[in-house]
Amino acid sequence: MSAATRASRQGKESRQRLLRRFRIVRLVRRGRTPEDSPDDAAVRRRLGVGFWLAIVWLVAIAFVALFAPMLPIADPTEVAFGGPRESPSLDAWFGTDALGRDVFSRTMYGARISLAVGGFAIVFGMVVGGALGILAGYYRGRLDQAVGFVFFVLLSFPALVLAILITATLERSLLVVSLTIGILAVAPVGLLARASTLVYAEREFVAAARVLGAKHGRIIVRELLPNVVIPMGALTLLGMAVAVVAEGSLAFLGLSVAGDDAISWGKMIVDGAGLRDLQNATHVAMLPVAVMFVTVLALNFAGDRIRQYFDVKELPF
Amino acid sequence: MARFLIRRLVLLVAVLFAVTFLGFSAMNFLGDPLFNVVGLMAELDCEGIEAGTVEDTSMDRARSDCETVAAARAEYHLDRPVPVRYVLWVSDLATGDFGTSFQNDQPVSEIIREKLPETLILLVMAQIVSLGVAIPWGVFAAYRANRAFDRTSTVVSFGLLSVPNFALAVVLLYLLALRWQVFPSAYESDTAVGLVFSMILPAVTLGLPLAASYQRLLRTDLITTLQEDFVHMARAKGLPPMRIMFRHALRPSMFSVVTVFGVSTGAMIGGSLVVEQIFGIPGIGREIVTAVVRDDFPVVLAIVMLVACAFVIINFMVDLLYGWLDPRVRAR
Repeated sequence: MSAATRASRQGKESRQRLLRRFRIVRLVRRGRTPEDSPDDAAVRRRLGVGFWLAIVWLVAIAFVALFAPMLPIADPTEVAFGGPRESPSLDAWFGTDALGRDVFSRTMYGARISLAVGGFAIVFGMVVGGALGILAGYYRGRLDQAVGFVFFVLLSFPALVLAILITATLERSLLVVSLTIGILAVAPVGLLARASTLVYAEREFVAAARVLGAKHGRIIVRELLPNVVIPMGALTLLGMAVAVVAEGSLAFLGLSVAGDDAISWGKMIVDGAGLRDLQNATHVAMLPVAVMFVTVLALNFAGDRIRQYFDVKELPF
Repeated sequence: MARFLIRRLVLLVAVLFAVTFLGFSAMNFLGDPLFNVVGLMAELDCEGIEAGTVEDTSMDRARSDCETVAAARAEYHLDRPVPVRYVLWVSDLATGDFGTSFQNDQPVSEIIREKLPETLILLVMAQIVSLGVAIPWGVFAAYRANRAFDRTSTVVSFGLLSVPNFALAVVLLYLLALRWQVFPSAYESDTAVGLVFSMILPAVTLGLPLAASYQRLLRTDLITTLQEDFVHMARAKGLPPMRIMFRHALRPSMFSVVTVFGVSTGAMIGGSLVVEQIFGIPGIGREIVTAVVRDDFPVVLAIVMLVACAFVIINFMVDLLYGWLDPRVRAR
């Protein structure tokens, strides 16, 4: 490379850097952080390999959870399927726990409660919270204040503490646990729905509908709902990650769905977390931990990508 | 400022009432209140036993149980109509009378006084850990934004935020306490040093995920601050970069962290339930879980009320602090 081209390259480079700096200044004036914008633009165009990897993992877990009884895996409740605390082998991929139960099949079955509770909770949160949020954002006034107050009170409880208050008084069935975690989802989802309703209710197409004589109900369902559902839907996977962790924590404390055949990741982890088990049969706790971590990571990662794709802001909680 | 304060105070009182009302409803409307308070003893036919018409296998035991039931009725004002009961119960709470655990005949306030210090130490240590990790981490990430260190730390913090608390606890317990034996695996309270030392691992468990979220917030805010004129000025004066970062840029970038501080306390209280359980720390969190399993509802209710009210008040104070830091907030 001749000295002349090198010099011209350097000149070009510094010119580019100068241009970039100007662009940064412009972006900052508009109130955005400079390093965010090129990233966001790139992400919005495509979701990326990582996203699809996460989706593949989630679909696989969901498939296993749905069809667990039909798959050729051991009975998860069969005591002494193998010897106690056997290390992972070809017969039992994840080894066996203290009672000789197959850890692999228990992990697969454990996905059922986690996903069922997570899915139900987020749907409940979206239906109830979404409805309340849209109504509050549309009608404003007294209703808005009342709903806002309810959300505020719900958020005044540390999440797990509110869940404990409910599970302490009711019997711990799948429905009760799902509802409990669903109630936790109501306030955050509701606040989001309210915020985006406030934005869309000011838009010209809503005014146009009103001028054309549309009733409130029609405006809410036909004009507002489709717009508000997009940001809410974009956060579904993120919400599900929170719900799965919440269920896991309750199960870890022994406060999730009761019964021996109600297998849950949290319960498996606490079963294997005694000091002796942890020392001698690390796999009993660590393999469910790994599966749960990858699942939550996949939910978070895919959720975050979808959030960026639809350009929805992060929730402040 | 005065109007802002008054409005906030009114909201605080209203929320405290709503929170206590929720707890009260859980006790009184989800199932029979007497059963909630004393458990199976509520089903004794006390009038029959008193009159001698009902024979029980062990009359002495039945009589003492009936006395307990009567005491519970008086303690929770169960013979009064519901609205009166609520007012009496709340004024009991306000004067520090949290009821009695009828499972082991101990006033709940005594139980709380015994267990609260452990939990408070844990929470404070966890906040120290998280801020101590997050501030240098965030500053270095923002100093070389989008370089290798920053990119790695984004991945690491994303991972940390995806580990459930209890899973992190199990992994740290295994690695640091059992495998490498750096920290003790169990709680010890013989000496103050031993106490703090045995709390390090639990505090790290609670603090690390929080540090990750603080770091992300701090990094974003710092990157914005670094574009400000006064930073260019400081740089032009030739101040050393780290002095600029820590002395000039850090303070105006702490807003988001302060805002999240209140909310994160709630998440940490939830996390401390789990962490106390696994590390065997005899704190509030462990007590409430034991109480739920034993159906000792008065203890559960009292602790939930205490924690929720404390959480509301912390958030109230953070709000005030925020309004004091940034005058624009007061106008809202």
